[in-house]
Amino acid sequence: MSLMRQVWLLVLGVVLTSLVGSVAVSASSVRHLIGTQLEVKNADNAVALALALSQQHGDPALMELLISAQFDLGHYERVTWRTADGKVAVEKSAPQQVTARAPAWFMHLLPFKVAPGLAQVSSGWSALGSVEVVSHSAYAYDELWNSLLNTLALLSGVGLLAVAVAYVTLTRIRRPLDNAVAQAQSVVEGSYRLVEESRVPELQRLTSAMNAMVLRVKAMFEAQAEQLQVLRVQAHCDVLTGMSSRKHFLAEFESALTRDEGPARGGLVMVRLRDLSGLNQRMGRPAVDEVLGAIAKAIKAYPESVNGCLAGRLNGADFALWLPAPDVAAETAAALAEALRASLPAFGNGIRVALGSVELPRESSMGQWLGLVDSALAKAENQSGFIVEAVSEGVDNAPVQGERAWRAQVIEALKARRARLVEFPVLDRQGQLVHLECPLQLKLDPGGEFEPAARWLPLAARSRLTAEADALAVQLALDAIQRDGQARAINIGQASLQDGGFIARLRELVFAQPTAARKLSLEMPESVAIQHFDLLFEMGRQLRPLGVKLGLEHAGAGLAQVERLFQAGLDYIKLDAAVVTGLVGDTARIAFVRGLLVMLRSLSLKVYGEGLNEAEDVQALWDCELDGVTGPWATRAGS
Amino acid sequence: MAFSQRSSFRLLRTLAFALALASACMGAPALDSARFLESAEKRGPHTVAEARAVLKLIERASTQDELVRLILVNDFFDQHIRYAEDIDVWGVLDYWASPLEALQKGAGDCEDYAIAKYFTLASAGVPIAKLRMVYVRAMVDGKSLAHMVLAYYAQPGAEPLILDNLITEVKPASQRPDLTPQFSFNSEGLWNGQGAPWGNPASRISQWRDVLMKVKDEGF
Repeated sequence: MSLMRQVWLLVLGVVLTSLVGSVAVSASSVRHLIGTQLEVKNADNAVALALALSQQHGDPALMELLISAQFDLGHYERVTWRTADGKVAVEKSAPQQVTARAPAWFMHLLPFKVAPGLAQVSSGWSALGSVEVVSHSAYAYDELWNSLLNTLALLSGVGLLAVAVAYVTLTRIRRPLDNAVAQAQSVVEGSYRLVEESRVPELQRLTSAMNAMVLRVKAMFEAQAEQLQVLRVQAHCDVLTGMSSRKHFLAEFESALTRDEGPARGGLVMVRLRDLSGLNQRMGRPAVDEVLGAIAKAIKAYPESVNGCLAGRLNGADFALWLPAPDVAAETAAALAEALRASLPAFGNGIRVALGSVELPRESSMGQWLGLVDSALAKAENQSGFIVEAVSEGVDNAPVQGERAWRAQVIEALKARRARLVEFPVLDRQGQLVHLECPLQLKLDPGGEFEPAARWLPLAARSRLTAEADALAVQLALDAIQRDGQARAINIGQASLQDGGFIARLRELVFAQPTAARKLSLEMPESVAIQHFDLLFEMGRQLRPLGVKLGLEHAGAGLAQVERLFQAGLDYIKLDAAVVTGLVGDTARIAFVRGLLVMLRSLSLKVYGEGLNEAEDVQALWDCELDGVTGPWATRAGS
Repeated sequence: MAFSQRSSFRLLRTLAFALALASACMGAPALDSARFLESAEKRGPHTVAEARAVLKLIERASTQDELVRLILVNDFFDQHIRYAEDIDVWGVLDYWASPLEALQKGAGDCEDYAIAKYFTLASAGVPIAKLRMVYVRAMVDGKSLAHMVLAYYAQPGAEPLILDNLITEVKPASQRPDLTPQFSFNSEGLWNGQGAPWGNPASRISQWRDVLMKVKDEGF
């Protein structure tokens, strides 16, 4: 039985017992008292009457008169004078008065057995017999009844007060107890919370111990994050400049090109320090390193200030910068050129850079991107001085329409539910399906094809309709789960989370289908955790109690920057392709992935890898003990 | 000496038992002699001797006529108790002593005589209905005194015989002009516990009830 119920039963039992006991004891003692009083009255009145009768010199008339007077003016039930031979000489009696308040059952329950008063009557030396006096006891029943009711009322009042006080006290005790339990449960779920220390001494030690544990987890997490940084630099970065190495930049670039979220068009800028070998000879290695450092610093300003930019050192003299926005590549290249033209002469003269920029639809292949930017760079190199050569190719494949028309098309497609979920499996080591990742496809043109997210997402983002789209995706996923019971995961965009009523809408959708909800997962990009941690936390708080799982996708080294990852209440992390591909033979990368895994495992998170294509990459991940993989390899293996 | 004492003791016990039986038939309260002697022992050897004398008296008196019983009991107590005021004997203004208390002190005042004679006569088989304690006004040496005597009514409504410590003889009331009766009482209706339960606090309030309780303890 619950502790609270036990305590309540105890309190109520004690109160009830003391109430009943007190009332019984009180009633009994009052009855005893009243009975004694009546008997004493009987005895004393008998003696008094006998004394008076004995003064009448045996005159029967006078004696009868006296008896009548006493009887009529007093509270007697019966007064009897018996002569010496036992015969009744005079008897006055009144029937038992009906009690005013005491009910008949009460009189039967607690009857008064009162002895009559008896005294001897004489006149001179003659014994005239005895007189017997019985007083009325009806009023005694009333008295007893009243006293009983009063005691009952008073003690009931006290009892109720005691129960009320007990209730208040127990509630006050219960709150810290519930808090402690909630904290413990949240620890189990991987969301480490600190709670206010309770003032109840017994619970205080518990809560302070729990808080200490949470703080220790936090410290451990921070230590791991620090170590992860070291590993990251070793695995991904160029030693001199701190920018991504070639391998890593290309992996990141590939990931940025192939993922669903992103702009329709983007820009790539390449910077080359001209005549590196000549400079090396002329200025010496250290000076050239400083120059390279300066160039890197100028380029790194972009990824540091704008989310989504990627910068890397491709080889000794070449640097690349990826800009995930249309129409900025040429400007950026020009700005960089200006900056470098101003700063580089400080290191020496004869230092020249060439810049090439290209803007293409994002869906172009990496070969196209690199090829075009290379040719732009070559053109720039052919000229002398600080030259920027910009190339922009590829027409915006989206049909030319006004903003309003776009909006209308997307709204209509969403309303008419001209949408479907595409399914990509996530497989574990045994080849079992973990869940299906389901991006949404919309048929914008009623007679046309289902467009993948890469096509319609930028449009929706421009029209601020991502929340609608994501809500529709969740609804479709819940319906699908209801049909076949297969676990599914839906991507939620950062813009959707920032929409005010979005979380409430999701909660409604999930609430309507509780059984399906337990097989639903929602994943958000890593940037949400870094920039809008509160939204993530809120999402977890509202949806996890309903059984929905939460995860992060496209995650990588940025996880270490999430200060309160251990409190976020996540269930899994999907590591970006840039982090988990190219592990074969690269011990530094493997070490990084392992370090990341250790950190995430300590928070009881499941870790999956995205964008896996090669079987050997997958094997390397199994060796690192990842929980599952997704990507073209999984799609092939699963089918 | 010891042998005769032991045998007389045993004899007494048998007699007391017979007495109890007899008085049970007659409806008079029986004396529990074992208890009587026990109570006497608590008060000292002198009281024990007196108690034994009382038992012997009762035994002797039971076999006689009622009138003879009166004389025997009257004489016994007049001889064994000398007159003294309560203040001298007990140190309080008014104290009604039980028979054993009076015998222990060997002294008492008018009500103590009356009480002792009343209970002894009752134990000897005289029905209580025939006995009354009477408040009287006595003229002694021209002075008017509050006094108590024991009255015996052979039949209801008859002229009583007076047992008194002022004179040695038992005389009818008409021959006692020095006494003017005021009020009489006895323990009728109070004896068998059909009245107040003995544990009742009211029992200790009145002198008479107090005596009745003490006397019950002593075995009457």
